[in-house]
Amino acid sequence: MTAFYVNIVHRPEMVPEYLQKEAEQGKVEDLTRGAVLRESLDIFRTQQQTAHDQGLRTTIQMTYASLFNAEAVAIAKDHHARFGDEIGSTFLGLQCAEFREQFRSKELAIWLFSIEDKRRIVDAVFGKFHEVFGFYPTSTGSYYMDAELVNYIKASYPMVRAAVATCWEEGPKAYWNANNSWYTLLDGGPWNPWIPSKRNIHCPASDSDDDIGLVAIPHLSRDLMAVFDGPGSYYGTHPQNLLRGMVNEDRELPYFKNLVDQYRSLATYNDGYAYNMMYVGPGWMSKSGRWEADYALLLKSYQEGMAYYGELKRQGLAQDLTMSEFADVYRRDRSYTRPESALWRDILYSSRRQMFWYADPSMRFCLDMNQGGALVDLRPYAAKLVRPCGVGTKANQDASYPFLVQSLYRAGYFTHYAGEGAVKSCKIGHGQEQADLCTCRTQASFSVEGDTRVVTLEPVTIEFADFSVRVQSIFRLTEGSGEIEIVRRVFDSTRPGVEVSIDEYITACYGTTEYPEDLTGVRLSLIGATGSETIDYAYQCREAELAEAACVEAVVPQVDTRLSLRADGPALGYLREGFSFSPMYTLGVKKTIVEKGELRTWLKVEKAS
Amino acid sequence: MAQGRKGKLNYRCPRCLMREIDMDMLYDAEKAEYYCLRCSFVGDEAEVLRLNTQFREKYGARTIRITEF
Repeated sequence: MTAFYVNIVHRPEMVPEYLQKEAEQGKVEDLTRGAVLRESLDIFRTQQQTAHDQGLRTTIQMTYASLFNAEAVAIAKDHHARFGDEIGSTFLGLQCAEFREQFRSKELAIWLFSIEDKRRIVDAVFGKFHEVFGFYPTSTGSYYMDAELVNYIKASYPMVRAAVATCWEEGPKAYWNANNSWYTLLDGGPWNPWIPSKRNIHCPASDSDDDIGLVAIPHLSRDLMAVFDGPGSYYGTHPQNLLRGMVNEDRELPYFKNLVDQYRSLATYNDGYAYNMMYVGPGWMSKSGRWEADYALLLKSYQEGMAYYGELKRQGLAQDLTMSEFADVYRRDRSYTRPESALWRDILYSSRRQMFWYADPSMRFCLDMNQGGALVDLRPYAAKLVRPCGVGTKANQDASYPFLVQSLYRAGYFTHYAGEGAVKSCKIGHGQEQADLCTCRTQASFSVEGDTRVVTLEPVTIEFADFSVRVQSIFRLTEGSGEIEIVRRVFDSTRPGVEVSIDEYITACYGTTEYPEDLTGVRLSLIGATGSETIDYAYQCREAELAEAACVEAVVPQVDTRLSLRADGPALGYLREGFSFSPMYTLGVKKTIVEKGELRTWLKVEKAS
Repeated sequence: MAQGRKGKLNYRCPRCLMREIDMDMLYDAEKAEYYCLRCSFVGDEAEVLRLNTQFREKYGARTIRITEF
């Protein structure tokens, strides 16, 4: 049985940043400018009507500013009564004359206030909401909701059970895209709803003790390939984002439906469950146009997007739920260990590229089939890093969850002719010849064997000087294990009896941005029955190996993570320290086979402390 | 020189857009041209539209409705 759930979220944002900026051209700031308030409310009304015309219910997230506007409040009450819309709250749209007077700040991002201010603002927003509606909201949100903020909300307002909690992969790319002026540094979370950990909102909770108490929803459903290497605000279920990305041709936008349909197809990988959310703030539908698009096109794209959800609902292919309803449905049959998987294909650039995304309480990772299934992103969720953000914290604006591997920020396979980049792959060798599977494009398929999800890659051919072999990679993900089991199978050799080496390796680092972090303190270890070797990272370019290694590991105290690699039988383990021009560490396991055979390894991510 | 103002739409600089930077341009009404504060691009509306068309070309599937997944 397949279920596709859709959340439509609207907010009466009385002073949207974009509209306000536009209205301010050549004028001084005025948060009470009548034209902006009227236009914003008009757009909100249009959005609501667009959804209702399609028979879709919405979640109305009241902004703080809108709670002071009798008309906005009246619309919310009316639509709740007539259409069954949920009235929730949001921490977007805080800025208004009342907020400015009360908090004396122009800060617009709830997660960037000090923890003391966060608590005061939560109380003010929820208090005003209760005063206006006579009840507390059960859903809330922002572009990002840090765990410390949510823990306070749950302690004070336990009825809250859903929150828009992050924008998927809005980090350095979003910052760069916005001329280095948009501080949503939020990389590293899941792309679909999840139950967050009390310790870090990005991480799925491990168990009921770790459960933060609400279901987190990402802001928009984003293209899992285009957004990995492009701005989040170009490629998601937000028609005006797509116009910003110029994905339209003339006035047509088939990509929106393609994106929705690919999300629907993710039910194949997730026990029949699929999800979408659409959340467009009024500022994106300015009457004077936005992103080279006139208002008529902005409106058309919104109406057509909503019409597609409506069509799916009428065909019985989608269920429109409010945020709180969705949270209840999501929790109904969900174990904490259940992963989220997505074998994503390119629907934008006309390549045949696939990427496989996986998230569970231990890790999030991505495999790139254009690079032979190389692992190009790895986040150690098992560490459950307590990493508060906002004023007065060490992280301050950088709310991303750290990576061990991020091949776009830290080079990956291709470096500029020196050093190594962060990637996990495998090298197939013979004598002095060697080929990295990163250079072997392939395709993948997905299957399930009991509690194990299996990603099977089509074999690739490695051509040496006077013979060739075929190599197949298989990734096995056993629920709750915290490990990736990797099988590299060599077969179909054209020369009988030839020796071939299989070198499984991971080159990693840690960080949240493109820039290198200090690796001093990282400890690399080889552990075997006959001895052990340790290298304390000091950029000395040292190497070590052990003939029969039971385990090769790196402990990275900066992110409280132990990363280890082990093989299923006798294999040579090795370590490589990097140097300043190549600030990486490498763990590897190597085995030689004759003509055909396989190497089976397990990559594990654990909390170090 | 006249004061630069916003144009009729918020045209972004097409050269900055090529490297995925959204940079609104200013419009010089006297010369009927847009200019970028970041990368020194200057051009009239036709030139901006020409380069925007070029930008779109990277999306090989932008006109295709994909129904098989």
